[in-house]
Amino acid sequence: MIDRRTTNRALVRFILLPTIFLIVALLGGVRVASETGALVFVAPPLVTLILAVMLLALFARGGAVVLGRWLSADNAAAANVSHALTLGALFFASAQSFNSVLPDAGLLRWVLSFFFLWTLWQNQFAAFDARRLLRSLIALFGTAFVIKHVLLASLYAPDGGWLKRLAGALLEGVTLGTLEGQAFAPATGYISFFTLALYVCGLVLLPPAPDDEAGEAARADEIVAAFRSLPPEEREQVGAAIIDDVRTPELVTTDDRVTTDAETYRKQ
Amino acid sequence: MRHRLIQWLGIAWTCILGAFVVWVYVAAPRSVGEVATRASVAVGTYEVDRARFDAGRDLFLREQYAAARDEWSRADPAQRDARTQFYIAYSFYRQGWGRVYNDDDLFKQGLDAANRAIALSPDAALSVEDAELKIHSAAELKAELEGGLLRTADDFNPLKVFRERK
Repeated sequence: MIDRRTTNRALVRFILLPTIFLIVALLGGVRVASETGALVFVAPPLVTLILAVMLLALFARGGAVVLGRWLSADNAAAANVSHALTLGALFFASAQSFNSVLPDAGLLRWVLSFFFLWTLWQNQFAAFDARRLLRSLIALFGTAFVIKHVLLASLYAPDGGWLKRLAGALLEGVTLGTLEGQAFAPATGYISFFTLALYVCGLVLLPPAPDDEAGEAARADEIVAAFRSLPPEEREQVGAAIIDDVRTPELVTTDDRVTTDAETYRKQ
Repeated sequence: MRHRLIQWLGIAWTCILGAFVVWVYVAAPRSVGEVATRASVAVGTYEVDRARFDAGRDLFLREQYAAARDEWSRADPAQRDARTQFYIAYSFYRQGWGRVYNDDDLFKQGLDAANRAIALSPDAALSVEDAELKIHSAAELKAELEGGLLRTADDFNPLKVFRERK
């Protein structure tokens, strides 16, 4: 059972996670031209690389990625190489996720980039834990997705989307020249949605630190050594507590056996 | 043991997938079909669709040049076959050739195709053995197309109408 769990964890860490992040890196820059239906691949612009660096720093600060455990002198060389590849894939996936939700041109691209930079910069100094950070990121990417693929897509639609008509009615005589951008097919929005969903899945699956067999064994050894260094009374307490914990599922209804097990241990 | 195997498998898989992602962004294919074509070019398994090529040649001999080029472009979507590019250039030459004047646009496109054909056969001069053609080498075809694009005093020679299309 434990062996299967270890294998599954290894499959997730060494194969599934890099695959997810690389697919995000691939799809994050994909656009579909509205007229020809041709695929357009947009390489990550410089601003998205900066945003990705800030996001990784935030992951490290929030404890979502404990860099010292992912890349450590205690790890085997192959493990470090594998972890570095996974973190590299995470970096490019983050950059491409930003690329996916940032407008490709125009004033709004710079406005949204500035908002991203401002939010990530402020978050560097906020108290975060991994779960809060993930929720905050979902909100951040979700908002940007709605702005780009719902509001701006409607504004740029060649046939005149609902927002364009609304803007035309409200801002009669005012030009939208500075807001002009390239129109893409609706498929671009679907690809972006799938990409962001996959990215969030990858973040959910990403453990703060890689727990390999060697690491688990080392920690178990540390716990045993700490246990042995305790005074006899405290060792009794710890031992009884461990036995209670192990037996708890079976002993919900039979309190007597708990007492019996603890007492047996003390006698031993 | 299994853990280590998965680890090495993961490293290899990540490198391959990462290289694929980089390649896609460099090659920038315009459709999913083009991804497959360019991938086959990259790994050296790319081949011209022989049936389409022959269909294009039949159309070419019947002087259906635009249709012939359409078939050839489907036969060689990656434009990697020197022989097909030579035929495309030849079709532009024949369609653009005129007794009084040549169609410069068609000749320019023919010149591009001839240059592609020459570039695709860097080791030896490209020569196509086809009894139906009067020009057999890509270099000669290129010279013919370049000559057609030049403006010279000879263009006003009335005897020019008696020249022969190759």
